[in-house]
This record gives sequence, C-alpha cells and structure tokens, in this order.
Amino acid sequence: MNPIIEISIPQLLLALLFILVAQATSFIHKLGLNKDITIGTIRTVSQLFVMGYALTFIFGANNPWLTVGIFVVMVFSAVFIVRGRVKEKQIAYEVPTFLTMVSSYFLTALFVSWLVIGVHPWWDPRYFIPTAGMVIGNSMSALAISIERLFSQMRQQRELVEMKLCLGANYKEASRDIFKGAVKAGMIPSINAMMGVGLVFIPGMMSGQILAGADPLIAIRYQIVVMFMLVGSTAMSTIIVTLIIRRRCFGKSEELVLSAE
Amino acid sequence: MIKLLELRDLSFGYDKGGPSVFEHLSLEVRSGELLVIKGASGSGKSTLLRLICRLNTPRSGSILFKGENTSGMKPSSLRSMVTYVPQIPQMIDGSIRDNLLLPFTFVQGQRKTAPDDQTLERMLEAFYLNGVTLAQSANKLSVGQKQRLSIMRAIVTEPDALLLDEPTSALDAESAAMVFSIIERLNTEEGKTVLIVTHSDYQPDVPQARSCTFRNGNLECA
Repeated sequence: MNPIIEISIPQLLLALLFILVAQATSFIHKLGLNKDITIGTIRTVSQLFVMGYALTFIFGANNPWLTVGIFVVMVFSAVFIVRGRVKEKQIAYEVPTFLTMVSSYFLTALFVSWLVIGVHPWWDPRYFIPTAGMVIGNSMSALAISIERLFSQMRQQRELVEMKLCLGANYKEASRDIFKGAVKAGMIPSINAMMGVGLVFIPGMMSGQILAGADPLIAIRYQIVVMFMLVGSTAMSTIIVTLIIRRRCFGKSEELVLSAE
Repeated sequence: MIKLLELRDLSFGYDKGGPSVFEHLSLEVRSGELLVIKGASGSGKSTLLRLICRLNTPRSGSILFKGENTSGMKPSSLRSMVTYVPQIPQMIDGSIRDNLLLPFTFVQGQRKTAPDDQTLERMLEAFYLNGVTLAQSANKLSVGQKQRLSIMRAIVTEPDALLLDEPTSALDAESAAMVFSIIERLNTEEGKTVLIVTHSDYQPDVPQARSCTFRNGNLECA
C-alpha cells in the first residue's frame, strides 16, 4: 500500500485555477454567477478546514457523547437545508422530519459500523461520523425531493383528492397516488446511482480510499456496503417522513386542510 | 317521512377568530326530500354542504344523520352514505368504467357489489349519455357530460343522500335541463334525498321539493 501523497498549500492554491476558469466563463458569458462562485469557494475552503480540525479533535477525544452530539448537529443542519428547499409555511413538518432522521440514520450508521464493518466500539468516530455523514447527505436530498413533491402534488390535485374523499375514500386512499409518486421521486436518484456505479462513475468514498492507498478490492466492498446503506436509509426515512406529513395534510375528519396556496 | 339530516345551532367561519359565514343555523331534512338551497355567492350555501359531509368543521353546533351525531362517525362511512358532488366535476385518468367503479376500489365501497357493464350502460342512457361507451376516456367528455357522469358515479354505491353543489353553473341551458331532469327522477323514482345548492332560478316540479334561501347569514325556508 502506498502512503498518501500530502497536498501542500501551494499545491492547494494551484487547484484554484479551476475556480478561475469558472469565474472567467461566468464573466465572459455574463452568467451573473461570479458572486456565487466566490462565496461558494470561500465556504468550501472554510467549512472543510473547520471540519478537518473538528474531526481531528473528535478523533482525538474518542468520546461517545461527542460522536453522538456531532451526529445530532449534522442532522439538525440537514433539516435546515431541507427547510430551505421545501419552503412550506402551512404544515409544520420540521420536528417529525428531524426525529425521523435522527432515529433512522442513527440505526443505519450503528448497523453499518457495528455489525457490517465490525467496528469496536460502535461509536468509533473514525467510522461512525463518515458513515452517518454519507447517510445524512444522501437522504437529505431525497427527503427534500419527496416532501416538496408531496406538498406540490397535494395542492395541484386538491380537487381530485376531495372528490375521492367525497366518494367514501379514507385519506390514505384519496392520496395514495400522490404518496407513491413522492416516495418514488425521492428514491429514484439512489436507485439510479446503483445502476451507474462502477460503470459511469467512481463514487467519492471509493475514490478517496483508493487515493489514500487502499486496495481497490477492499474499497469496492466498502462502496457496496455504502450503496446498500444509502438505498435502505433513503427508503426508510422518505417513507416514514412522507407518511407523517401526509397525515398532517388532513384534519381530524380526514378533510384536506392544506390550502390551495 | 323520517328525519334524515338535522343541523343544530351550526356556526362556521374560515379563520379562527375571524368573521362568521353564518351563526346558529338550524335545518331539518327529511328522507326523500328535494331541498333547493339558494343564495348569493359567498353566502355559505356550498359551505353548508361541505359541513354536512365533514369536508369543513363547524365552530359550534352539531349535525345528526339518522339521529346519530356525525362527529362520532367514521368520515369515509358518512361520506359513502351522504355523498357530496363538487361544483367542478373531477375525473381520474382512465375510462368511463374506471371512473364509475372508482368508489368500489375504496374500503367502504368494497363492501358493496359493483354493477356490471349492462347495468352501467343502462344508467348511461338514463343520464343522457347515449353516445358514449364505457371504454372511452372520461377526461375527453364535455363539461356537461362530466357533470352527469359525476352525479352517476355518486349514486352507483346507492347513498342515502346526494349533496349537489351548483351542478349546472358551467352548463348551457340544454345541459342544465338534463341535469335537473336527472335530479328530479332520482328523487321521485328512486326516492333519493337530494340537497342542491344553486344560484339559478330552478324550481323543481316535484311535490316533495322545498326551497331555502340564505339571507344575511340566515337560512329562510319556505
């Protein structure tokens, strides 16, 4: 196994050339993206440096409470990102989303690090945090898609849902197609990723391990676990969250309370 | 005639603490009656029908169906007995048959026997839908045809009462006359209790018809 080649600060600065290309493209074609690219660059560098130092500290501390605490903060941040994408004002969905994410992602990360990889202790931050991070990052996008789709379709098909209620459907029957569509929309990207992995792209985790000198045959095993884990955790969280939010769109009398706009 | 529906001291407003649409409204509907509810736009006619089938919740008061408080009933069970037909007819993607048999796909409807094609075809004729076939797409029908189909779909499960919300508002005179004729036939020949909300000058030509008008939040019945 070859030792990892360290990237020095001047080498890191060399990578800024890519940003300069993006800035030049935006400037020449008047895309109006220069400000966003600048902010994005600053955020990428600062957030990753902060994370690097934080992980160094956490790995050094080797404390289960600190590991779980970081995990909860990561989920909390993910809910904020989902909230920014969904922009729903009438139905409160943040608390059930947070609770579902915390419980289902914790179980997933625990299962993978403890039982599948066999890490002892299970909370070893070197395994638990990256595993949880991948689950959160992937499922967060799926959840945002599912929640947004549920609300938009429920509003768009208001009259159709009410018509079914009027004909004796319960709220689940009246919104069955919308529910299915929302869950599917959230899950399709992770399923598509399983189709393309190894053929169309080499995933970030596997690339990272190979660059760090790992045996590709070990790296693929990790990647297979990750792919399965992402599909499972995405399915679990999108279904639970979508079920809870769907119920909240209806009142006690199973009447649709979600307003038109 | 027995009391089918009883509205007791009903008050309703859309927003908490906001203005009321109506207050302390009471009404009795007897089995087999054809009740026409009239009034200006926004007077609360449609809201009244929606309250009966619990698509909206009253601020206070109670609604009784066959003497039982509807707030204690299973909503889907109530709605399969007191079926509301919205103003704008809604069809699912699929054939006319798919639409007519839709109520039988729900748990409530699965307890009943779905009519066969021959029965449905006879019903289509009775609803002045002679030219259409069960296999054709429901969403390609005209608004008038959809309106008749939506009333037909509401009665295939044989509910006790039909609540019709402005069933002729988007129709020309000829289509409107067809719809009114269907309503009167359902009432006189099949004994269906019908509550119909309209802002037209409709005067039903049946002995068991009654008319009520919304004025300043009050319901005045003849």
